Amino acid sequence: MTPTLPAALTPQGQGSSAGTSTGGAGPCGTGTGGDAANGNGNGNGGGFGLDNGARPGRATALRSKMADAARHYAGQWLVWAILAFLVAVPVGAFLVQVFVPRLFDQGTSWFTLSNLTQAFQGHTFLGLFNSLWVSTVVCVIDLVIGGGVAWLSMRTTIGGRRIWPGMMWGLLLVPTWLMAQGWQYLTEPNGVLSQFGLYSPLVHHIIFSPIGVVLVDSLATAPYAYLTLSAALGGLGSQFEEAVRVHGGGRLATFRVVVPVLAPAVLASVALVFVETMSDYGVASTLAFQSHFTMATYGIYQAINNLPAQFPVAGAISILLLASAAIPLALQSRVTRGRSYAILSGRTRPATRYRLGRAGKWSLTSVVGLFFAVALGAPGLGAFAGSFVANLGSPLGGQSLTLANYGEVFSGDIAYSHSIAEGASGTSGPVLLSTMLAAITATITVVVGLAVARLLVARRPGRFTKAGDLLILGSIALPGIVLGAGYIFAFNLPIASRLGVDMYETLPLLVMGYLATSIPTTSRIMMGPVAQVHGSLMEAGRVHGARALSALRSCYVPVVSRVLVLVWLVTLTKTFWELPISQLLYPPGQETVSVAIDSWNNNYHPEVGAAMTVVALGACFLVIGLVLGGFRLLAPKGWRRMGGWRSVA
Amino acid sequence: MLTHLTHLSPNAGLPRGDKTTATTKLAAAVMTAAAMATTGIVATSATVAAAATTSGPTLVVYSAQGYDSAETTAFQKATGIHVSLDDDSTGPLLIKVEAEKNNPKWGLLWVDGATAFASLDQQGLLMKGWEPTVSWNSLGKQAVPADKSYVPTGLTMAGTLVYEPKEVPDPPTTWQQLLNPKWANEIGMNDPAVSGPTYPFVAGMMNYLGGVPQGEKFYEGLNSNGLQVNLTNGNTLEVLEAGIIKLALIQSSAGIGAGLKTHGEIKVKFLDPVTALPSALGIDSKAPKAEQLEAEKFIEFVMSAQGQQIMQSGDPTGDSLYWPVLQGVNPLPALPPLSSIHVQNINPYTWGAREDTVNTWFTDNIVE
Repeated sequence: MTPTLPAALTPQGQGSSAGTSTGGAGPCGTGTGGDAANGNGNGNGGGFGLDNGARPGRATALRSKMADAARHYAGQWLVWAILAFLVAVPVGAFLVQVFVPRLFDQGTSWFTLSNLTQAFQGHTFLGLFNSLWVSTVVCVIDLVIGGGVAWLSMRTTIGGRRIWPGMMWGLLLVPTWLMAQGWQYLTEPNGVLSQFGLYSPLVHHIIFSPIGVVLVDSLATAPYAYLTLSAALGGLGSQFEEAVRVHGGGRLATFRVVVPVLAPAVLASVALVFVETMSDYGVASTLAFQSHFTMATYGIYQAINNLPAQFPVAGAISILLLASAAIPLALQSRVTRGRSYAILSGRTRPATRYRLGRAGKWSLTSVVGLFFAVALGAPGLGAFAGSFVANLGSPLGGQSLTLANYGEVFSGDIAYSHSIAEGASGTSGPVLLSTMLAAITATITVVVGLAVARLLVARRPGRFTKAGDLLILGSIALPGIVLGAGYIFAFNLPIASRLGVDMYETLPLLVMGYLATSIPTTSRIMMGPVAQVHGSLMEAGRVHGARALSALRSCYVPVVSRVLVLVWLVTLTKTFWELPISQLLYPPGQETVSVAIDSWNNNYHPEVGAAMTVVALGACFLVIGLVLGGFRLLAPKGWRRMGGWRSVA
Repeated sequence: MLTHLTHLSPNAGLPRGDKTTATTKLAAAVMTAAAMATTGIVATSATVAAAATTSGPTLVVYSAQGYDSAETTAFQKATGIHVSLDDDSTGPLLIKVEAEKNNPKWGLLWVDGATAFASLDQQGLLMKGWEPTVSWNSLGKQAVPADKSYVPTGLTMAGTLVYEPKEVPDPPTTWQQLLNPKWANEIGMNDPAVSGPTYPFVAGMMNYLGGVPQGEKFYEGLNSNGLQVNLTNGNTLEVLEAGIIKLALIQSSAGIGAGLKTHGEIKVKFLDPVTALPSALGIDSKAPKAEQLEAEKFIEFVMSAQGQQIMQSGDPTGDSLYWPVLQGVNPLPALPPLSSIHVQNINPYTWGAREDTVNTWFTDNIVE
């Protein structure tokens, strides 16, 4: 039964809200009081007394408007310009050589369409089709996993609810190839399960099939669904449920009220999971490849690995990947157009938890616990068991455990590079270099990502917002190797060298490459929490005399501080392990940790590579622990109680 | 119609001023942070570059060899020439060389596979007409190209038969036996489109069997017999050790190295014939003359007694397991004498030019 709704709960369309958006607040809150107060239809002004604002003269208001517009567009322009420089230029360079291969010496034609037609043929098209359906199925599964874990840990009295969010973040840190490798170790004939007499040919065949591909991709991308959905659930408060209950609505009605409020988060989750799965190469090159199941990214890698390299063909497949991002974007645009989903304001009340019965509590706790045991256990086993054995391959198959591999990592005794002691960055080695680069990348990403997220969730999208959004989502759908090669095309131009601006194979360009992969994802992750932060918070600060930056610092940052910290950590970790861009852009002699590990593995020393993986993981967890601990100790308590992703930091 | 409930929040539809001014400031803060960070890194890079230019131009070496770090360190110590080493897998290095075509940054390339060098030569990317003054043995003489565009530094073998004797007491002795149902679902190899050393193996079989169609028939037969294709040597070795397959067709150095590390649990058999896979050094045709001269000095150093000794000690369970191409240099004891193996050489220029079509065929018909 649908409850009867009070006037305040009546749907309001674009018309009335658009009226509230005009004018723009001048410095110190002048100019908009009346409009803002009228916006919600009942004139209570959000509790910050905006309706008391003084109304200036028309001329002053006009000047104020123009100044604001200039500032507004300057900011937008700057943010989009940064994104264009970091993402659009290299991606554009990579794509333009599909049609004009001669531009970068990648062919003899000045114009051709043959590369594009090649992408629609044979296994490349099949790969794209496979990637599309796998990504769609993964989206649905992840909504259930991510939404389920988010709701259970945030809105019920399930056991271990302080642990599960951390576990989800842990899952986010696991590379997909490691996850696939872990499943391989578990289920193969001489694998871990067979050591306990549990080997099953059926399970082995299921894992090495499209089902296994969907399973591992779902586990790997579930954190993205969790993050976007939990941010929304955390900010939701219980006022919506209470409002429905007060008006006589049952559980079904509550569900019907709450789910639409979560629509942006659900769509954000779908979009992010879709493009992350489309771009994945870790599973495509392991489980999928061995199952004779071609995916789109394999086609790109194969074309690029050919001799002579077929960059134009890889570019053509990339165009199709980029275009695929338009699917979730169109869905999102259709559903959320012209509506506001801001729910986190000065009046948000903390949510209440649904009290589970004893049986329900234990059974649900077991299910969630089992999920994480499986999701994290398999890759953990792959990395950890492998690192101790003399020869990787049969982790527990009678090999003797040894710490010698760790000796190699720390001392570099063998006449071989990439040890912590050696490494090109002097005595610091790849682990420290990667930590530094990742920290710089994460810091810039958080700031730019927040600015981009704010632009993306604006009620009235700016001139470039739609194009920017497609660029952002599309670039996430592209595997890292495309960005890496695009960076070489765009930033290693002969004319630049003649002018003495050689950026290629320098650390700044490597960081730019990292930013190009991290900003799109993080701004997309932050869209949920940012959309929920109500404008009234900033207005309150401005009304009380704070300048824009000061209001941002004192009213806005506290609310999103936890989000920023967590996004910083995710970016740090993802950058730390990034391989394809590092391989193509790292300055000779200054290898990153991923390049070092890859070299060890490819030079038939996988056991040393695995040991370095464990050491690097340790370094990564140390940084995460220090930052989370620091935030807990140093940040005011209130900072930790507001905004999305509440139960982690 | 409950979808619009979100409007119950007060002040939905915020004035633009605050938010956008904040965005401007935020963006300004970003640029400042980015500038600071970049300046910091540039300073670091500049320091490195300054240190590098103390003795002439820096020689940039792109190498996939396990002993390259030891070799470049020793060379730098012996000559004072600063070397910048980009050590990576063959795949990413060749991608970089190809992507840098219009503005190359490398001076010297050191990877396995004469077909790869032949392809680069045909694209005009290699300096021709120079070779070190050394005493080649018969293997070396066969491996030096007519136009002297690259210099062979050693030989490994492509597509050797690697197995565990306790699992396979009687391994196949001919290539045709691999098609026997006895080995159904037990054979693995690498994807030639991804693994550098595998294309010469595929091409070698085609060469041995009389041509591309005959070779395709052989691989179709292997595929019908349940061939498992993995990405690289390491992956194929892994599935062998995991018991998923019993016979791995991989590069000799990977197999012999695994045999050393497992104390004989893994063995390598050389079927008749086995295809030679030279490692080679090539000089960038577009590099500055001074860097090309340094590259020549580096090659001479590698081919010297000291350089060969470093190649053989730098990675004893990996790339050091090669057959030398110089007179007076003996292979490591773990390698069988060449007199016991029938080695075939393929024309890298003929087969290098076919790499694209052969790999595409392989992907469409075997990997799929």
